[in-house]
Amino acid sequence: MAAPLDQQPLAAPPSRKGLFLGMLQVALSSFGGGMSAWSQRIVVEQRRWMSNESFITGLTVARLFPGPNQINMAVYIGAQFRAFAGAVAAVGGILLVPFSLLLLIGVVYFQFHTAPAVDRVLTGVVAAAAGMALSMGFKILHVYWRDPLALGLAALTFVLLEFQGIGLIPVVLVLGPIAMALYWPRQQRHG
Amino acid sequence: MVDPSSAWDTWLQVVWTFLRLSLFSLGGGNTLLAEYHHLSVERFGWITSSQFADIYALAEAAPGPSSMIVGLLGLGAGWDHGLGWGLLCGVSAEVAVLLPSTVVMVAAALSWNRLKEAPIRTAFERGLGPITLGILFHVGLTVLRTADHSVVAYLVSAVVCALMLFTRLSPLYFMAVAGVLGAIGIIPS
Repeated sequence: MAAPLDQQPLAAPPSRKGLFLGMLQVALSSFGGGMSAWSQRIVVEQRRWMSNESFITGLTVARLFPGPNQINMAVYIGAQFRAFAGAVAAVGGILLVPFSLLLLIGVVYFQFHTAPAVDRVLTGVVAAAAGMALSMGFKILHVYWRDPLALGLAALTFVLLEFQGIGLIPVVLVLGPIAMALYWPRQQRHG
Repeated sequence: MVDPSSAWDTWLQVVWTFLRLSLFSLGGGNTLLAEYHHLSVERFGWITSSQFADIYALAEAAPGPSSMIVGLLGLGAGWDHGLGWGLLCGVSAEVAVLLPSTVVMVAAALSWNRLKEAPIRTAFERGLGPITLGILFHVGLTVLRTADHSVVAYLVSAVVCALMLFTRLSPLYFMAVAGVLGAIGIIPS
């Protein structure tokens, strides 16, 4: 019987090529969705590149910093071993196939989207996708539900963008520092 | 039709647009969608509003991160200058939007142990959350206005929104069903 995961030794640090191929495998495995579960299975369980703890830390960092979460996670994994070059290799591996496929879909779309049948199908798909976009805000609303300051900041952000026509960059540059100051952790008093 | 000087202008416009937005992609990247719409449709006229809605749906339906929509926006921007320019602009747009955030993320990954306990981390995490929330509601309404042009379409969006919140079904099913409803002419375009 195999020892529990956390007691098995880690593998040698992957090369850039190894990172590229590993992330390529993650991308191909997760074509049906569930990318972070697949990357955990491949990176932690199969290839033993990093501990589960380090992987979970990566998910936190990836969510916290700017950039798409899944891409940031690849950056985190690559950077652990080969710094910037590793990050580029990992991102290349995760994007190569899906991005090429999406560009191909895009070329077909721009060539044929004026066909009436295509237009009718897309009208439906687009309405569904808009529902998905609408759900994003509601999905995280409960996190802030009992925090009047957070709801106030969210409402102010929304009003500035929606009704004042102010761009995203100025809004974030002004409200971001204010919000950070309001949420700066108070000094803990001991004793 | 191909005028290389204006094609280069488009390319520069694309690269600069996505480079400067990169670090503002809070909360996983979808926060930029409304800004993408504003810039690519209203400001630069790379694509029409209905093309934007189509592209957004394609990026959501295709496998891989939906943030790859940036590649399709670039493709649309370069398309008028020919397929080659379209592909060049598409790839450049994706590289441009990922480069700055990747540099920051590499630095974060390498210095996380020192950053973990820093007060700025807490302030950043807790302070930017509410702003992300406000942006996401604006994004939701922007996409809704762009996508839906009939009462039936709004109803479909509302039902899908509720299903996203209260079930764990894959959104691909919702898009497939809605696509069929559109094909048989139930949703006026």
